[in-house]
Amino acid sequence: MKKSMTILMAAVITASLLTGCVTVDQEETTSLQTNTQSAQSEGTLAPNGTDSENLADGLDENASTDQASYTIGIGQFAEHGSLDNCREGFLAGLAEEGIEEGKNLTVIFENAQADGGTASQIATNFAAKEVDLICGIATPMAQSAYSVAMKSQIPVIFTAVTDPVAAGLANEDGTAVGDISGTSDKLPVEKQLEMIREILPDAKTIGIMYTTSEVNSESAIAEYKAAAPDFGFTIVESGISSSADIPLAADSLLEKVDCITNLTDNTVVASLPVILDKAAAKQIPVFGSEIEQVRIGCLAAMGLDYIDLGKQTGRMAASILKGEKAAKDMKFEVIEEAAFYGNQKVAKNLGITLPDSLVSNASELFSEIAQ
Amino acid sequence: MITILLGILEEGLVYAIMALGVYITYKILDFPDLSVDSTFPMGAAITAVAITAGMPPALTLPLAFFAGALAGCVTGFIHVKLRVRDLLSGIIVMTALYSINLRIAGKANLHIFNQETIFDNGFLTRIMPDALKSCQVFLVLAVIILVCKILLDLYLKTRSGFLLRAVGDNETLVTSLAKDKGMVKILGLAIANGFAALAGCVYCQQKGFFEISMGTGTIVIGLANVIIGTQLFKRFSMVKATSAVIFGSILYKACVSIALSLDQIRIGSIIITFPVIASDLKLITSILFLAILIAGNHQGRRGNGFA
Repeated sequence: MKKSMTILMAAVITASLLTGCVTVDQEETTSLQTNTQSAQSEGTLAPNGTDSENLADGLDENASTDQASYTIGIGQFAEHGSLDNCREGFLAGLAEEGIEEGKNLTVIFENAQADGGTASQIATNFAAKEVDLICGIATPMAQSAYSVAMKSQIPVIFTAVTDPVAAGLANEDGTAVGDISGTSDKLPVEKQLEMIREILPDAKTIGIMYTTSEVNSESAIAEYKAAAPDFGFTIVESGISSSADIPLAADSLLEKVDCITNLTDNTVVASLPVILDKAAAKQIPVFGSEIEQVRIGCLAAMGLDYIDLGKQTGRMAASILKGEKAAKDMKFEVIEEAAFYGNQKVAKNLGITLPDSLVSNASELFSEIAQ
Repeated sequence: MITILLGILEEGLVYAIMALGVYITYKILDFPDLSVDSTFPMGAAITAVAITAGMPPALTLPLAFFAGALAGCVTGFIHVKLRVRDLLSGIIVMTALYSINLRIAGKANLHIFNQETIFDNGFLTRIMPDALKSCQVFLVLAVIILVCKILLDLYLKTRSGFLLRAVGDNETLVTSLAKDKGMVKILGLAIANGFAALAGCVYCQQKGFFEISMGTGTIVIGLANVIIGTQLFKRFSMVKATSAVIFGSILYKACVSIALSLDQIRIGSIIITFPVIASDLKLITSILFLAILIAGNHQGRRGNGFA
């Protein structure tokens, strides 16, 4: 008797917890569904009810124009400026090809909060919802998506994977290993070194800080080390294991180098202001690897624009969704052109003039340091 | 729906192996052992390297277990022989293993996508009927977890197993039996970390890659699994603690899965939308987790009070 009572209690608690939300929303969605034909009832939407609106829109359009509509799952590994830009660009790229969120596209977006276990579960959930395509942003997410999609025949598109070959997501020659393709955010290392040489003719050592747990950073470091002697530089690396190590590592690194350059290392980029502060105090220039880093106070970067990268990825995804190409027939792509970004304010603070040859070709110049 | 359920079972069972280990340290020995956070990826690292080197996948299971057990011995040794506090000895080993794992794997991310694993090999393809293909992973996992559970149950009934349980409850008793309680603790930690590494090994083969950060939060998941399981099932005397822990793991993963799919649920033609965004995931998971614990507590108060 007691036993059954307790089970009942437990059931009631969970049920009430869930139904509490359900009933309210149910009313909303049903009212929405009745209204879609006549007018858009935006007033009745919940603050974040855009999903249902989109879906209703999609259904509406589907009924009237008979156009194909798609559902895709976007899994992002962590909350982070560059990766957010990737996602934004990805959706923009799809829109360029006529696949717009809210019109003929339903997007299920999940963020793994940098947790590997969650990443794989997100991928499993996408497969269970039978999405038309999974987009994996950043390496661990892409790998999880691929591992799930292998069994369920869902094409996977990845982006922000620095070294798809090392991650097992592409063959040595760039061809696909399965129904998976995407874009790499490989850094234009040589162009970056060339730029540093041009801005700092006398510099000898470049410091690079990276997280030992990020395979992307390791391959970038290897590339820097291979290319540095050609430009007369020595690379001093400093490996950290978590963001808590950054202040100490920055102090010791700044003692040894003439300048610092950044990779796209997630942990380091997230704590970049700490490094910038310490470097500014010692008048040591810090170079970035993409636009956001220059915006917040790196001197300059020969880098990539993650929005562009996302757009490129989005266009690839569009051709897969439309059935023009299969992911397994596509080679992974890299951004061809490196763009120059400079921060004049930082240059002034350091007493450095950015060479005209670079400035005249700059994609974007900042005159302030964004906080 | 079936795919979601299978997904939950698969994820839950992998972590259940590790939770069996946490059950030994946390519930039996009363030892908050943080080293599992690193023995889990260690199992994965060893597996990835061994499989890449051409080792038969089945052999990686005992290999990972013994490597994990060795790491557990180190934690035990530091705690018992060098007299370092339990929490700290776990932290020391956890921190050291991070570098060792990177050494073992050679890099932070090692994949085995194209290799044979225990879930995908010639032998399985031959014996598995086509109808069961979709739950092949689940079946293999079920066999592994059953073997682990039965072995652990049997072990806990042996002389050494009784001593292990006695150390957690009453250390003096063990000493009065002229047994070294330190050695028993080391043994318990070895088994626990063996299970954690074994879980890492299975996880790596299931997902197809090793990633250095995959162990972060393992102990939290393990503790949650153990507590959910033992709290919920403590009133059912016919459910063994080891089974309860396995159910707890599945429940925990079910919570995460519910939290993940909570933004939009489709029932027939009705679409229910919740105003949650991707970053709310952890909050929802913990609310569900709390709900389960409250439910468990209600059971407890009606019975013999808090456990």
